[in-house]
Amino acid sequence: MNTVNKKNRKKKHNIMKVKEQNTAMVSDYKKWFQSGSPWVWLSASGVSISLISVLGLLWLIASRGLSYFWPATIYQFDVNDLQGKSNTVIGEIYDREFIPVSQLVHSSLVFSPETKTVERILIKTGNRELVNLDFRWLLVPQISKTATPKDVVVIERRTNGNFYGFIEKVILSGKEVDISQLSELVDRVDNFQEQIETLQKSDIGAINYQLERLRLKEKKLRLTKTLTVNKQKTIDGEIAHLQSEYKKLEQHLMTLRKQVDRDQLIVRTMSGKSTTIALENVLSVSYANRLTLIDKAGVFIQKIGDFVSDDPREANTEGGVFPAIFGTVLMVLLMTVIVSPFGVIAAIYLHEYAGNNSLTKMLRIAVINLAGVPSIVYGIFGLGFFVYVLGGSIDALFFPETLPSPTFGTPGVLWSSITLAILTLPVVIVSTEEGLARIPSSMRHGSLALGATKVETLWRIILPIASPAIMTGIILAIARAAGEVAPLMLVGVVKMAPTLPLDGNFPFLHLERKFMHLGFHIYDVGFQSPNVEAARPLVYATALLLVTIIVALNMSAVSIRNKLREKYRALEH
Amino acid sequence: MISVTPKPLTSQQSIRDLANLTPDQVALEIQNLNLSYGDKQALHNISMLIPKGQVTAFIGPSGCGKSTLLRCINRMNDLVDNCHIDGEIILHNENIYSKHVDVAMLRRKVGMVFQRPNPFPKSIYENVIYGLRLVGEKNRRVLDEAVEASLKSAALWNEVKDRLHESALGLSGGQQQRLVIARAIAVQPEVLLLDEPTSALDPISTLTIEELINDLKKQFTVVIVTHNMQQAARVSDQTAFMYMGDLIEYSDTNTLFTTPKKKKTEDYITGRYG
Repeated sequence: MNTVNKKNRKKKHNIMKVKEQNTAMVSDYKKWFQSGSPWVWLSASGVSISLISVLGLLWLIASRGLSYFWPATIYQFDVNDLQGKSNTVIGEIYDREFIPVSQLVHSSLVFSPETKTVERILIKTGNRELVNLDFRWLLVPQISKTATPKDVVVIERRTNGNFYGFIEKVILSGKEVDISQLSELVDRVDNFQEQIETLQKSDIGAINYQLERLRLKEKKLRLTKTLTVNKQKTIDGEIAHLQSEYKKLEQHLMTLRKQVDRDQLIVRTMSGKSTTIALENVLSVSYANRLTLIDKAGVFIQKIGDFVSDDPREANTEGGVFPAIFGTVLMVLLMTVIVSPFGVIAAIYLHEYAGNNSLTKMLRIAVINLAGVPSIVYGIFGLGFFVYVLGGSIDALFFPETLPSPTFGTPGVLWSSITLAILTLPVVIVSTEEGLARIPSSMRHGSLALGATKVETLWRIILPIASPAIMTGIILAIARAAGEVAPLMLVGVVKMAPTLPLDGNFPFLHLERKFMHLGFHIYDVGFQSPNVEAARPLVYATALLLVTIIVALNMSAVSIRNKLREKYRALEH
Repeated sequence: MISVTPKPLTSQQSIRDLANLTPDQVALEIQNLNLSYGDKQALHNISMLIPKGQVTAFIGPSGCGKSTLLRCINRMNDLVDNCHIDGEIILHNENIYSKHVDVAMLRRKVGMVFQRPNPFPKSIYENVIYGLRLVGEKNRRVLDEAVEASLKSAALWNEVKDRLHESALGLSGGQQQRLVIARAIAVQPEVLLLDEPTSALDPISTLTIEELINDLKKQFTVVIVTHNMQQAARVSDQTAFMYMGDLIEYSDTNTLFTTPKKKKTEDYITGRYG
């Protein structure tokens, strides 16, 4: 026995020796590789790359988007144009770039041989109705004089964009008054315009809505052949009543319009021409070069507020994005309401009830693969199935009186939400199932041993404990749905929706209506707009807003989940 | 060699002669029970009577089927796939495995406490009334009384009465186990099954639970599975020794530990294996 031990020991000793020699031969590089630090470096660089890209992206859209709201300095340039004539350009600097001299060979400008590039600046000159282009490139060498006159004004208008120039006269019902009264007059017009807006949108809108409903009611009765003389009489009476109401409102509107029409501004443009601007068209007048830093900050905040709360103007290139914000949030919330119960029920079935067989496995694979289907395919499916088949059947069954114009058989916010709900369903199912699988079986057994049925155990014990996992699924679903645009273009999003899906007319929530969406708004403003230059900062501002909204939606869901997690944390041993 | 001190007998809780129980002294009757998981048979033809109002212990080495047998009594084995049972367990003249038995109702009559404390992630109060909520009890006064009575029975009331609405997960292991017992007795079961209730606890908590078991048999029939022979000797009136799915010997605790009739029992209680 002893000899065997000795032999073994000797053998071991020999092996150790060989190993030592080997390790001595291993190069430093191999050692470093074996130590595992390359993997640490690799993962660290992966993390930094993603962090840098996220921060860089946010910084880009935040700086570009927010600078849109900061009141710019208005410059007055004296420019010698290529023909040698001198003229004046007034506007704000929009962009700068350097171009190679070789591009300017054919111009009359002469450069010294050393200059390789020339700076040029893009000026937003506004006054769209007076000049062909409201943006103009100036070569810096052409500029003979730059000034920032204190008297120059920026007039923000309801149509035709900004006006840059000087105020000559303020006309109050035909008589010239002092310029100091201007802000008062602008406020007065603003007030009237607001009244006109509410009158048109809510009051007259409501009457039109009721008239349409009465017309449909009459048509419906006629279709079902139950239109009696009495019913006809009441309907006619109501219509007559509404029409008289309408006449009254119309009269009121006319008087308001007259009030608004009263005053004018006489202004001088950069070319020295005088022109008239009706005050009804004026949103605000500001002496941009007289503003202090604090004034500018005030204007900045106010402009952000307007952007978030106003309707768009001028084919979406001016004004706010409120309907798009509203549409996005409403659609995402509806989607959440639809996807959560379906996802959770499906997960419960798969995990708790379905037998452990090949059919279940196939179902699971199908669900996971559903997440990989391109979103536009969902859009097409939504259009084909939900809009045309389901919506068409709903119309045929419940709204025959409006046909051939469809009610639900046309893209709308309901179909968009359902389409996105299907798109995000796999996410909710997978994460809920994972949550269910993580629950210790002692919880189930404890409940069952107390005489609870399986359903009672699910409701009272399992689902509450799984709620953080369900919330995780919902968070991921929201994140995916809020950023999705492609399928929505087929099933409900429009460039310009005349009414919100939520208003004061019964039944208040109009799920059949089309809606505006921030993601589509970005696409539309950025790439479909007639005035691309003017729309560019809006693209950044809207993108920033969309990111903010998605982050806000996510953060609120995350905080709910964390609260739930805190509650059940002690369970995760 | 393990020294085993049998519990001194009191006149009130005298050991009944297992062979001559009157029908109203029997809580449960197990008849020819066979159980198999797939192809593997785990229990072989078990027959025994469990007397009312007493503590019956199942002992035996790991894998001998004692927990399996315990789980048969409230049909927790139904949850195991591939588990096939035949034979009968009679409770109130009715086979609990007959088709028209409502399993949920059965489990209300036969409560169970598991090896590891498993309080629900709810308040202490909600944990105790869980079973009552299931039967739709809404009367606040009834619930309050049940909570107090159950927690007192489980010897936990004094420790938690000021924090009934705090999470049960904040309690210590021993307190959690007593809470789980309180939860089980709140529904007033007839039989209480304890599956190694102290194996996850420290010695002091174990002692508390053992004292509690002694009190519990005044109200309930208690069946306990334990690894620990001293524990069986301390708390039980009857002991059943099981080995490899067979019931080897079943008699009053005193007899089983002092004068075992079978060789296997003797080997086991003297520590020769297991």
